[in-house]
Amino acid sequence: MANSPAAASHEHHIVPTSTYFGTLIALIVLMVITVAVAQFQIPDIGPLTGTVLNQLVALIIAGIKAFLVVTIFMGVKWQTPLTKLWAVTGFVWFTLMFIIMGDYLTRKYEPLASWRPNQETALPRTIHGGTPMPMVDPNEANLHPRE
Amino acid sequence: MAGAHAEPLAHGHDHGHDEALHHQFEDIGQQNESYLVGMWTFLVTEVMFFGALFFTYTLYRLNYQYDFWVAHEHLDWKLGAFNTTVLLFSSFTMVMAVQSAQLKKRSHVMRYLEITVACAFIFLGVKYVEYSSKFADHLYPGISFSTDPKVFGEHGFVNGVPMVNMNHAQLFYGLYFGMTGLHAVHIIVGIGVLTALWRLWKNHAKSVTVDYVPTELVGLYWHFVDLVWIFLFPLMYLMPTPH
Amino acid sequence: MSATSIGTSEFPKQGQEEVNYLNYDHTLRSWLTTGDHKRIAILYLISTTFIFFLGSLAAGMIRFELTSPAGVVLESETYNKVFSSHGVIMVFFFLVLALPATLGNFLLPLMIGARDLAFPRLNLGSWYLYMVGAALMLSGLIFGGIDTGWTFYTPYSSMYSNTQVSLVIIGIFFSGFSSITTGINFIVTTHKMRAPGMTWFRLPLFVWALYATSVIVILGTPVIAITLLLVVFERLFHLPIFSPELGGDPVLFQHLFWFYSHPAVYIMILPAFGIESELIANFARKRIFGYHFVAFSTIAIAGLGFLVWGHHMFVSSQSMYEGLVFSLISFLVAVPSAIKIFNWTATLYKGNIRLQSPMIYALGFIGLFTVGGLTGLFLGSVGTDVHLTATYFVVAHFHYVMVGGTMMAFLGGLHYWWPKMTGRMFNDGIAKWNAVLVFVGFNLTFFPQFIVGWLGMPRRYHYYYFAPEFQPYNIMSSLGASALALGFLLPAFYLTASLFNGPKAGSNPWGAHGLEWETSSPPPVTNFLETPIVTDEVYDFDPVSEYEQLRAAQDLLDEGGNPGGSY
Repeated sequence: MANSPAAASHEHHIVPTSTYFGTLIALIVLMVITVAVAQFQIPDIGPLTGTVLNQLVALIIAGIKAFLVVTIFMGVKWQTPLTKLWAVTGFVWFTLMFIIMGDYLTRKYEPLASWRPNQETALPRTIHGGTPMPMVDPNEANLHPRE
Repeated sequence: MAGAHAEPLAHGHDHGHDEALHHQFEDIGQQNESYLVGMWTFLVTEVMFFGALFFTYTLYRLNYQYDFWVAHEHLDWKLGAFNTTVLLFSSFTMVMAVQSAQLKKRSHVMRYLEITVACAFIFLGVKYVEYSSKFADHLYPGISFSTDPKVFGEHGFVNGVPMVNMNHAQLFYGLYFGMTGLHAVHIIVGIGVLTALWRLWKNHAKSVTVDYVPTELVGLYWHFVDLVWIFLFPLMYLMPTPH
Repeated sequence: MSATSIGTSEFPKQGQEEVNYLNYDHTLRSWLTTGDHKRIAILYLISTTFIFFLGSLAAGMIRFELTSPAGVVLESETYNKVFSSHGVIMVFFFLVLALPATLGNFLLPLMIGARDLAFPRLNLGSWYLYMVGAALMLSGLIFGGIDTGWTFYTPYSSMYSNTQVSLVIIGIFFSGFSSITTGINFIVTTHKMRAPGMTWFRLPLFVWALYATSVIVILGTPVIAITLLLVVFERLFHLPIFSPELGGDPVLFQHLFWFYSHPAVYIMILPAFGIESELIANFARKRIFGYHFVAFSTIAIAGLGFLVWGHHMFVSSQSMYEGLVFSLISFLVAVPSAIKIFNWTATLYKGNIRLQSPMIYALGFIGLFTVGGLTGLFLGSVGTDVHLTATYFVVAHFHYVMVGGTMMAFLGGLHYWWPKMTGRMFNDGIAKWNAVLVFVGFNLTFFPQFIVGWLGMPRRYHYYYFAPEFQPYNIMSSLGASALALGFLLPAFYLTASLFNGPKAGSNPWGAHGLEWETSSPPPVTNFLETPIVTDEVYDFDPVSEYEQLRAAQDLLDEGGNPGGSY
């Protein structure tokens, strides 16, 4: 009954507590940075406006945190290639789902007439800058949803 | 080999010394890697499960940036940050439980599992406080959803002009309750699994004490729950001000 | 280990029963708590067959209703519920599970030389999940039914429908997780449980197909699980995710729904491809032509299948540009599918073909699937699809793929491995005629639907008084459906009868090649008495001794009093 090399590596790799604790500290520091960055608006850099930059920073930090959790806490770093393959697959396939976005970016988003009008907020309603819809009371609209 | 015929669940092969080995596997290495790959494939399904939700969120967020931003003002990022810290810490204690299992320190494993479960309860307690404040202000989607933008404070109502479309705010809270609710369901399941694991360790069950991998599997699940929250926190609580 | 060793020594003497997975314990408890993949496969076989006949009953009602232009018995609302029941039962509770969970469950460990699947208890759990899901779904159908069709398009399903949508969806949710657990089990088993010497390119093509299917299942099913769950959330908890009133987008539902449900088509057909490869290779007595191409085309279909969902939404206000891209990628799927068809026909060329019942199903599969696949190209191109959307052309197309493909392969595979599963040989003479009956009945049912669909008859209507000239086609279709029903019912009788009076099958009654034929029939509890070591290539038929072995196998069949079995 020969242990496969994979099994051997499992048995032998006991990660020291300091690594785990260091990771925890890093995660908390990253979280503090996210919160701090969200408190003010980053100035524009070229076409990247502050909102986009803020969101990018927040998501990049979240990505780094996720990477730390997956590699160290979940131990993927010390796993066999097969486990690594399956650990990566889900995240890769998740990004594939964003192809759907292609539809929405090439299609005019057409709101129903029963939506509340845009004039109320005096701010752009959609990223596509749709035309304001006329004021219609949803209760008078030709819709009878299930109670 | 005759015994293998009559008693299907007995170990077909001569590995009597290894109580944790199931009959269908040849050796513990094969079994452990199978368990880990099995757990990871399950987590792949979980990634896709939450992935569809995150996609939905992204789409509506892009379409209703300003409304979502105003609507999110009712969420308290301090509570969110506190909860994030609690979950990150519970991930740390979980991974320490796994490490203690590798070193076969039973009392440590149990201690760390207890802390992890305690963190989970703290998380749910904070969630309860947060949900209550939403219910109190009629921010749960449905017929009784608030029609008054003033619930969102200074940004909801400026100079007598409502700054938010309450329909879209309702959409935001639909996503909020859907996503954090499903996450909370995963936390509750996690509490059940962690408690079961704790009981097995308490009873010196061979299924978990002989090898560390069963503990590691529970750990993987728990880290995944943490992982979802790592993305939920900035997306729900920390929206930047749109132009 | 010789692949095709056949001798009388392998037959148990009369009155001396070998201990096998069926007879080591007869209690009901031993069946309901079993971890044995073979027993779970039998449990699945019984439950899916029951579900299949319920779905067929609904199909029969549809066909009866459509014999007259004004409808016969059903009201509009009842008809909606009947076709929705047919769709939900057949898609979510039969097609996506039937092949992997019965034949796949039984054969995967046998084919790779393993003692069991990697997670036997998870396997049993998946059957219980399926049963819970089926019970919820059936209770939903009994306490009011659903009228949304199997697609549950929002906002009708989430806001307007006053039927038992939530109950049925929760049932589907359970059954979805049942297939996910099966998928996880198959993936891990294929990776980790192969016998020594069983390399990836020695795997039978059925195993490749099951692996690819499982990958699709675990990547796709969670998406529909959450999507349908959001519909339930909207109905029960008022979370307005797809509500257009509040700014939600119903088309998003369709995107997420088809993100799974198009790959689900490949979940249904890929195992059928795998079975087809086994049948063609073993009844043509040749190594499959282009083994690597067939194996990789399986993976290619699984991958490409995830990129084509938009062709279900050409008329759903999807972006025109994305429609074109989806149309193009949909055509690409035809390439690996055609590779398979050509490789099967090339395998038949100069093969030592034996027209036994599984082979007749297999040949029928090639023809029917080709028709189904090619008509799919009509629907995959935007221009024709605008004309054909929601007509009977679509209905005929996917029935050619699902019934003509999956059901033919399922019946072929069931006949082929029946002796292995039960240890008994069925009456091959009746089975052959039944295969012909299914083929003829099927074509009679669905070919007229192509014509009537092209002429413009919409699907999901319970009358067509506006066009009485459709009646002859519908009558033909209903007649064919009757023949098809007979063709599905007969196996239930003669296969069951074979359990009591069928001759004992040896370990390898077809003279086939593969690890599953090297253990006894029915297999012992641990599948193999000792772990097999694989030294020969897959489908490694020895042309020299081929004829001798065939004669031996045939003589054994004839001795068993098997009418019509000699060539």
